[in-house]
Amino acid sequence: RRLDMRPLKEAIAEAVVQLCQENLASIKEAAVLDIVYNHTFQNKRVWTVYQMTKATGGETDIFDFTAFKRKFKRRIQSSLINVTINFKEFEDNAIWIRIAWGTSYTKPNQYKATYVVYHSQTPYAFISKSINRSNLPLLCQALIVASNYGDIREMELRSHCLDSLKDIVFKRYSQTFQTHHPKPLQERNVAPENVDPRLIQEDKSEKERIQRVNREVFGDGPQPKLEFAQYKLETMFKSNPKMVNVSERESFRCLVKFSSPHLLEALKSLAPAGMADAPLSPLLTCIPHKARNYFKIKERKGVLAASLVSP
Amino acid sequence: MAFLLRKQWALYSVTPLYKFSYANMKEYSRHLSAFVAAEKQKGLAMVVGIDLSIKVIFSTLLGLKGTDRDQAAILVQIASKTQTISGKEEEKVVWSGWFCCVFGDELLENVPEDFICLPLFLANGAETYTAIIGTWFQKTFDCCFSRLTISPLNLAWMAAMWTGYKVDSHAVATELIFSVPCIPQRLDISYAIHPEDAQALWDTVQNTQGEVTQEEVDLFMDCLYSHFHRHFKIHLSATRLVKVSTSIASVHSDGNLKILQSKYLIGVLMLLTELAILQIQ
Repeated sequence: RRLDMRPLKEAIAEAVVQLCQENLASIKEAAVLDIVYNHTFQNKRVWTVYQMTKATGGETDIFDFTAFKRKFKRRIQSSLINVTINFKEFEDNAIWIRIAWGTSYTKPNQYKATYVVYHSQTPYAFISKSINRSNLPLLCQALIVASNYGDIREMELRSHCLDSLKDIVFKRYSQTFQTHHPKPLQERNVAPENVDPRLIQEDKSEKERIQRVNREVFGDGPQPKLEFAQYKLETMFKSNPKMVNVSERESFRCLVKFSSPHLLEALKSLAPAGMADAPLSPLLTCIPHKARNYFKIKERKGVLAASLVSP
Repeated sequence: MAFLLRKQWALYSVTPLYKFSYANMKEYSRHLSAFVAAEKQKGLAMVVGIDLSIKVIFSTLLGLKGTDRDQAAILVQIASKTQTISGKEEEKVVWSGWFCCVFGDELLENVPEDFICLPLFLANGAETYTAIIGTWFQKTFDCCFSRLTISPLNLAWMAAMWTGYKVDSHAVATELIFSVPCIPQRLDISYAIHPEDAQALWDTVQNTQGEVTQEEVDLFMDCLYSHFHRHFKIHLSATRLVKVSTSIASVHSDGNLKILQSKYLIGVLMLLTELAILQIQ
């Protein structure tokens, strides 16, 4: 039998309503509270990363938060009166913006607000996936006007974990050094706890090789947390020598999606578990440095290996 | 037959039913209605709205057999009469289950006379109802239900065969979903191939007239695995195939089925009947 929590919830809700009425709470307080809630539970939302670029000859001005807010509000409200816009600054210089959208005839919908997270010292903005994409151009314009940038583009990078997205674009994770020469095996406590005494030298050196290659490719530190990667493949189907009868065709169209609570850690564990080659394909290992997890792969004419094509 | 399409069916294998008679279906309806109502009184089943009455209906489904030796398929439905807010009475089917046998010749060979063989059971609706119906059948006809699990090997067969079926409209991608075992974090890989390209590949592989061989299925899968490996350096063959979706139907290794086209229904049921029989033996 489940415990009936409803009376308790109702009692709390009523107490909150009464408190608000006594203190003449307005939409503004509610909106700021909403920001605090979403900041605390930020990983419930899916965040898309946007990158802004300076107009040519632009200088890095000292950031003025008041001017930012004013310009942002003015740009949006000049096109759309029925909006609720609120700001809150958090630790690590994150500015959270909450926008509830209405139309020319309707009041703002407070239940489907868009959230933007902007770090003033960087050209990046993180926008929580809003259901209504028609307001997106206006939002993007307001952002570049308010922050003195020239242009903005949506990156092919999406995740629930906002901190990991920041790690990736701010390059805060432990990066690998892209060398062609393997690093010498360093003194590390990587010896497995239970070494099977029957493990022969060939297997052991192969295991060590895999570990070493993995470290080169993924780095030493913890991986940024992403939940998915998607690849739209339009490459040629190439048969193996043994599949003599299978003819090659123009393009073999596929869509591959990887999903995991922690994708990069899962991919890192594939080669040691014997399920993948080491090194893993650059299509997968490039995710943090290319700062993208959505790809369109086309075959370049005359080249056997598939290569990345920016959309 | 349209009501069978686009619904999630939980699959079970059922051992032969002892002394089941098609002539007594009205009586079974009455008994089972009383049984379900009694179980509901115990508070075991869910109630939505104000329940006026629960009715169980038995009927036969025509056309869902392979040969004349197959027994006719049986449909069991639970209809619930509820009262809407405006006071109107509404009767709605809240649960459906059907038994069938399609090309089940192998099983029928050594079965004693008093037994009816309908080894495949499909259920849609609340699991609590499935449990109640299952309990009554087990008590009344001395049979045994078990969830039908489908191995990666059989899923590969379905992927290959169903990709080969030509559909007139609503062709969807052939999608294979793999789950990666033996790693600390869960990883699922969805590999979806454009229906035209998947079909073209199968047509190249499938050579023998009128039948599908294990070699052809293996070759089809190997082609898909090697194309994947070329791009990602991952050995899909070392992972576990858990779900297959095609234009015809989608099926999960836990024993969940969705049929999308009625054109190849018999083919799908034939494969599943065979798996159900193998599971019983």
